[in-house]
Amino acid sequence: MYIIEIENLSHRFEDGTLGLDRISLQIREGAFVVVAGPNGSGKTTLIRHLNGLLLPTVGAVRLAGVSVQHDLLRARRLVGMMFQDADSQIVGETVYEDVAFGPENLQLDRNQISKRVKQTLIAVGLTDFADQSPHLLSGGEKRRLAIAGILAMEPKVIAFDEPFASLDYPGVKQVLKQILSLHQSGHTILVITHDLEKVIAHADRLIIMQKGQIVRDGLPAEIVNAVETFGVRAPCASLLGMEVRSWLN
Amino acid sequence: MAELTSFSFRSGTSLLHRLDVRFKLLFLILISLISLSGDFPRLGIFTCLLTVLIINSRLPLKSGLKGLQFFLILLLLILGARMVTTPGDPIIEIKFFSITRQGILSGVLICWRLTIIVLLGFAFIFSTRSFEIKAAVEWVLKPFAFIPGKRIATMMGLTTRFVPVILNQANETAEAQRARCVENRKNPVYRLIRLGIPLIRRTFERADKLAVAMEARCYNENRTDPELSATRIDWMALVVMILICGLVVSI
Repeated sequence: MYIIEIENLSHRFEDGTLGLDRISLQIREGAFVVVAGPNGSGKTTLIRHLNGLLLPTVGAVRLAGVSVQHDLLRARRLVGMMFQDADSQIVGETVYEDVAFGPENLQLDRNQISKRVKQTLIAVGLTDFADQSPHLLSGGEKRRLAIAGILAMEPKVIAFDEPFASLDYPGVKQVLKQILSLHQSGHTILVITHDLEKVIAHADRLIIMQKGQIVRDGLPAEIVNAVETFGVRAPCASLLGMEVRSWLN
Repeated sequence: MAELTSFSFRSGTSLLHRLDVRFKLLFLILISLISLSGDFPRLGIFTCLLTVLIINSRLPLKSGLKGLQFFLILLLLILGARMVTTPGDPIIEIKFFSITRQGILSGVLICWRLTIIVLLGFAFIFSTRSFEIKAAVEWVLKPFAFIPGKRIATMMGLTTRFVPVILNQANETAEAQRARCVENRKNPVYRLIRLGIPLIRRTFERADKLAVAMEARCYNENRTDPELSATRIDWMALVVMILICGLVVSI
């Protein structure tokens, strides 16, 4: 079953720039997809259409068969989105409050909210930080908190926009572990990046974008050697003709 | 990164920590109002009460006073100004100035009042989670249909959340400018503009990103109401407080 169906999607910004150009795409439930491309290739614009933060100029986006435009609230519950700058995404004054923000918006009752927040904090390993101010967390912990904020809304798809940007090695490993654990628990994962090295070993599909179009779409092993043509750095191992290994090994 | 200030919530199990935020807010307002017009015996009673609360809640007075150093300087200035400007019986006379007995008493009284109010605020912030304060504001504003209480509470929360982020940003921008020898420019207006413009621009950009992130998490004004519940301790504290305030006013 396709959880995401994009049909002939184009998006033109207010200044007339074409952000997306006739994109058609289907993503199966439970898939792990990496979308790569240079800056300005339309990756972020594309994922912002998945939960209606941007609406199509032409074409349609459907989630589990229902148009995003038709029911924005449903779209935002189904697709959780982690933004590049975790600091701007965290709204709570404490870790607990931030995770509770989404469920409060869904008007769940206090018991349900408390249950969801506790479960989510356990899942991301931040239970001990519940009363702490988010600005005191490390980069990796902030990303995990941003993930927790999304998880508390129980989405089926989680889109990560440059999840490893400006993280140190332990931070990258923490976030990568979290992404893999979400995939294992049945979530559909979309990772937007221009840095394939850290995540490509785990993906089952690689999409390359350039100038608002999809220029390659297939199994990572089949197209990873061609990515440099489109302004994306290929993983070191593949350049040396070796198998790309996980950063967790 | 270190804690921004000692004026923040610390978890605990003291009486102050257990009281409902609405009652604490009421007590804070009551004591502050009475203190503003209080004389020495009245302030003495409130000081005893405050001492008990500070000991009971283990308020970190030492680090608090460190954070209050500018307030202490202000108190000294007030005391000094009162001592030399209040007419009365002179104790010391230096050229054009004379320090009067009445001036000293009046300065000490004003400083004592202000200290009580500031320490009460410190104890309130120390023992109350910020979401409880937000909830109390929402509760207080609920009867006024024309005031958007939920929106005000959200704005309050976001302000508290983003003050450290903006301060960090200001620090980073200032350091980047120092690295490019901005200190060689002696004109403070030039330096202020050079610091202010990028800081304001970054703050607005951040606000933009925040709005998108909130929208992605289904933000709307019909959210789950905050939970506030008064217990027997709160009502007992209210009775005690009314008795103390009654005693103070009747002196």
